[in-house]
Amino acid sequence: MTVNNTIAHQRLVLTGDRERFKELLRRRLIECGWRDQVRMLCRDVVKENESNNITFDMLAARVTPRARALVPDTVKKELLQKIKTHLLTQKDQ
Amino acid sequence: MNDNGCIHLNNFKAAKGTNPYKIVHAFFVACTSFEARRYKATSCLCFTCGMPGPRMHSCLHCIYFACYAGHIQDHSKTKKHFLYVDLSYGNIYCAQCQDYIYDRELTEIGVTHKLKEAKSLGISVPFMPWLPNPNEAMALRRLRKRRLISPHTTIGLRGLQNLGSTCFMNCIVQTLIHTPLLRDYFLGEKHKCKAQGSGKCLVCEVSKLFQEFYSGAKTPLTLHRLLHLIWTHARHLAGYEQQDAHEFFIATLDVLHRHCMNGVDENGEKKENGRCNCIIDQIFTGGLQSDVVCTSCHGVSTTIDPFWDISLDVAGPGSLAACLERFTRAEHLGSGAKIKCSNCRAYRESTKQLTLETLPIVASFHLKRFEHSSQIDRKINAFVSFPAELDMTPFMSSHRRAVDVGADNNNAPEGVCEDNRYSLFAVVNHVGSLDAGHYTAYVRQMKGSWFKCDDHMITRASLREVLDSEGYLLFYHKTVLEYECENS
Ligand SMILES: [Zn+2]
Ligand SMILES: [Zn+2]
Ligand SMILES: [Zn+2]
Ligand SMILES: [Zn+2]
Ligand SMILES: [Zn+2]
Ligand SMILES: [Zn+2]
Repeated sequence: MTVNNTIAHQRLVLTGDRERFKELLRRRLIECGWRDQVRMLCRDVVKENESNNITFDMLAARVTPRARALVPDTVKKELLQKIKTHLLTQKDQ
Repeated sequence: MNDNGCIHLNNFKAAKGTNPYKIVHAFFVACTSFEARRYKATSCLCFTCGMPGPRMHSCLHCIYFACYAGHIQDHSKTKKHFLYVDLSYGNIYCAQCQDYIYDRELTEIGVTHKLKEAKSLGISVPFMPWLPNPNEAMALRRLRKRRLISPHTTIGLRGLQNLGSTCFMNCIVQTLIHTPLLRDYFLGEKHKCKAQGSGKCLVCEVSKLFQEFYSGAKTPLTLHRLLHLIWTHARHLAGYEQQDAHEFFIATLDVLHRHCMNGVDENGEKKENGRCNCIIDQIFTGGLQSDVVCTSCHGVSTTIDPFWDISLDVAGPGSLAACLERFTRAEHLGSGAKIKCSNCRAYRESTKQLTLETLPIVASFHLKRFEHSSQIDRKINAFVSFPAELDMTPFMSSHRRAVDVGADNNNAPEGVCEDNRYSLFAVVNHVGSLDAGHYTAYVRQMKGSWFKCDDHMITRASLREVLDSEGYLLFYHKTVLEYECENS
């Protein structure tokens, strides 16, 4: 992160907008069924490894790449668009 | 999932209580105040490498912030501080157990903070999935009978006998049965009735009907008890001749709303604004705002009236959106329709504009296809297209106001989570002429799964077929439901 990025990040946290965008993302991911898909992926990984006790880090390492690939483009686009416009209007003020 | 934490966390809690977790969580995980956000914004950096990630954690013993790329692990090893909190989600890692651990008490603290955070940000309460309590979990285990819902399931579908031109009623009943939120209310057995067994409560009758529809039986049902009940309570509808489905819909909602008073919990439950808070009003009532602007003094007089449906003129526009656009357009009331202005204390010409102040969960549109006048009664077969997904934002009072002052409201962060999208779930059609007509309904049984209900006949239909139908009553359900904060 550059200094500029850090400032933008801090401002997003301070105003609460980071949480607002996070909440929007969370809702979209639930709506489109992504969350359920990821849950199924996790279940499969746990089942495959039934013999050895699987930890969160192992689970995250196995599931994250596939989960990322499953995020629909429409969701990415909407978020990107909204964050971009938001940052630009903030800059003008 | 085991939610009793681990021996190490339990020892820590015994020595220091839950306060260390509470403080870290309220300031750095879910910021419950502006002050907390200021701390989070400026200090959530790794004490070792200065980076804001990846996966920031805080030591629960000494509030040391470090990233998960090795620095929190280093701190934990050298200081023998074995418990640390993930700052994105609030989960606790135990270095001795070498994994995240879950503790019911701390999870509950986290939930409370999340609610406070939502409140402080002015966003609606985040969705939380249903978790069965011990009783419910036991009941689920005991009940061995399961029904698998697949795309081919015909669950909830049942034909209705025609009792001699009662297709108008059958269509409305099919619509109500397939109203998602109403179904959840009734299948959740939320109506606990004081008049139970008296046979006089329409809400109880509908409750029984839901059981019949979801019983798995396939024979068509006969609704004479329901019809009789509505006739007794809405006398103007009595008689076996063909009725207007729209009129019947409104009358049914009205009787249901009145009978909700029989409910144990619902009695006299009112919102602050004095409006009824029964299940019917919770689902179907919206607020229609009327702004009358005096052309002389530009004074505005605003009134808000509750509505159960919106009646739209069909002559002219070719789409539902165009009908709504015209419905919410400012209209000049000519010299023939002067209104008394309280400012000018005189009758003045004015403009009037209707907008939607609050949206109902179910938006019902009535396309005015029947024209009754002293000279002639006729049906207007004009084509009006309607979408499967509808965004109501452009027709809302807040949006119109923003457009008027020229503000670009679409990207205001406050509006980010405001969601006014609706999905079509039922369409009632009238075929044939005014006096020799017949009503049928299309209902959405599950997402993407449509059926045509023609009295006792239920047949699968495509969305295309639904959208190509003429349309008399259109029913849209809110796509995303907001949650209200109860423990504020
Ligand atoms: Zn420490
Ligand atoms: Zn670090
Ligand atoms: Zn442990
Ligand atoms: Zn009742
Ligand atoms: Zn009511
Ligand atoms: Zn005036």
